[in-house]
Amino acid sequence: MNAFIAGVGESPLGKTPNLNAIELQRAAALAALEDAGLALADVDGLLTTPIRVAQWAMPVGMVAQGLGIRPGYLATLDVAGASGTAMVHHAAMAVATGQAQTVLCVAGQNQLTNVSRDATVAQLASVGWAHPEYEAPYGPLIPTLYALVAQRHMHEYGTTPEQMAEVAVAIRGHAALNPLAHKREPLTVADVLNSKMITTPLHLLDCAIVSDGAAAFVITSRKDLKKKPIKVLGQGYGFTHAYIGEHDNIATTGAVQSGREAFAMAGVKPADIDVAEIYDCFTITVIAELEDLGFCPKGEGGRFVEGGRIRLGGELPVTTHGGLLSAVHPGLAGGMFHVIEAVRQLRGECGERQVQGAELALAHGNGGIIGIHCTLILGHV
Amino acid sequence: MLPPRPTDKFMLPRCEDCGRFHFYPRPACPHCGGARLAWSEPSGRGEVYSHSTVHRAPSPAFKDDVPYVIAIVKTDEGPHLLSRVVGVSPEQVSIGMRLRVKLGGDGKPEFEPEV
Repeated sequence: MNAFIAGVGESPLGKTPNLNAIELQRAAALAALEDAGLALADVDGLLTTPIRVAQWAMPVGMVAQGLGIRPGYLATLDVAGASGTAMVHHAAMAVATGQAQTVLCVAGQNQLTNVSRDATVAQLASVGWAHPEYEAPYGPLIPTLYALVAQRHMHEYGTTPEQMAEVAVAIRGHAALNPLAHKREPLTVADVLNSKMITTPLHLLDCAIVSDGAAAFVITSRKDLKKKPIKVLGQGYGFTHAYIGEHDNIATTGAVQSGREAFAMAGVKPADIDVAEIYDCFTITVIAELEDLGFCPKGEGGRFVEGGRIRLGGELPVTTHGGLLSAVHPGLAGGMFHVIEAVRQLRGECGERQVQGAELALAHGNGGIIGIHCTLILGHV
Repeated sequence: MLPPRPTDKFMLPRCEDCGRFHFYPRPACPHCGGARLAWSEPSGRGEVYSHSTVHRAPSPAFKDDVPYVIAIVKTDEGPHLLSRVVGVSPEQVSIGMRLRVKLGGDGKPEFEPEV
């Protein structure tokens, strides 16, 4: 496709009480355009996601108005946590088919400071991830639904709480090297295991954080760019279920399908990937995705993450910006940061956390309760 | 579409064409595509497919309940459903534990260990 990722950027991240959703998104959009060497006036396509902190009847219209642009191609995309990776694909299709020349993808919100963390937890539990009539009345948290995945994975494959904790430790170690990350204090496995038990077997530090922030990237066919563009070599989607009871094998995710399609399209295999920016809403998510994407045999994910293998300097550095577990999680935009990091790793812009010689990156998004996935494989033109 | 779930008995949607149960309710049978569906009473037996003990209530409404056990129950008829396991201490719940249904005060099905 004649469509490339030309610029990436983000707003201030973490706790930004003075910025509302549109201000955060504008900051991210301008940063991504600056990175591309383009301006708002160059944007003729716009993609965003819904937000939850305000009543936006048509999110993409609100964002276009807030940015002061009138794009000829626009859409609000929502495949839950897979939206970040899926946006790249949708934007690239719009550019490749000539619907737009330059698509701005931007999303984010003041998820942390708009409401209290308690209110966010309650809102997430009632927003429909659990069936409102048949499931929510029993009182599952969103983390409970992932805890069910973790418990089953432990039962089937012998995965341990220590192995899950290692995911949080490795990713926090990456956040410690990312000046923009929300949580940067290093962690140990003991810290994770001693953190508050939320919903067995998941502790507080097995769960994503809640942050303010927005992310943006620019997909274009233009050639007059500031930096060397990054190409989408392959993408794939995978869907298994909306509500968790529909999926009778919850230790395995739709990443099996999304990964298979993405690798086939790119003509590469998991062992060729230099850095994997994997969606990390919970520690178990990373372990299951590593298996399902083919980085290790099914059931070996717990052992795979041991021994520093997913840390910087390891065989497969994973989620090198610090992810949803430590860097930033502002809602549907969370998965966009994995794309941004993949682009920066390929450009060699990551400073202390640079994976030396990164030529091929994977970015993976997971949405719902492991039900919907979008995998991207990114490389140089 | 099916009428609302009955609250006097534990019922699941069942296809009158192929005879199989399913869950969640939907316009057509996921097994055969049949559209003649009705609430029907399964055995009420099943086992723990996965479980989690909730220590932090999602909202004040659940505060008095913690800790409580959320489980996916694999019914003997096949469908998986999210429910609570009651009548047993959370530490004793394990995958594979046999269960039988017990209707809560509001007619909501919960499960307890099979005696």
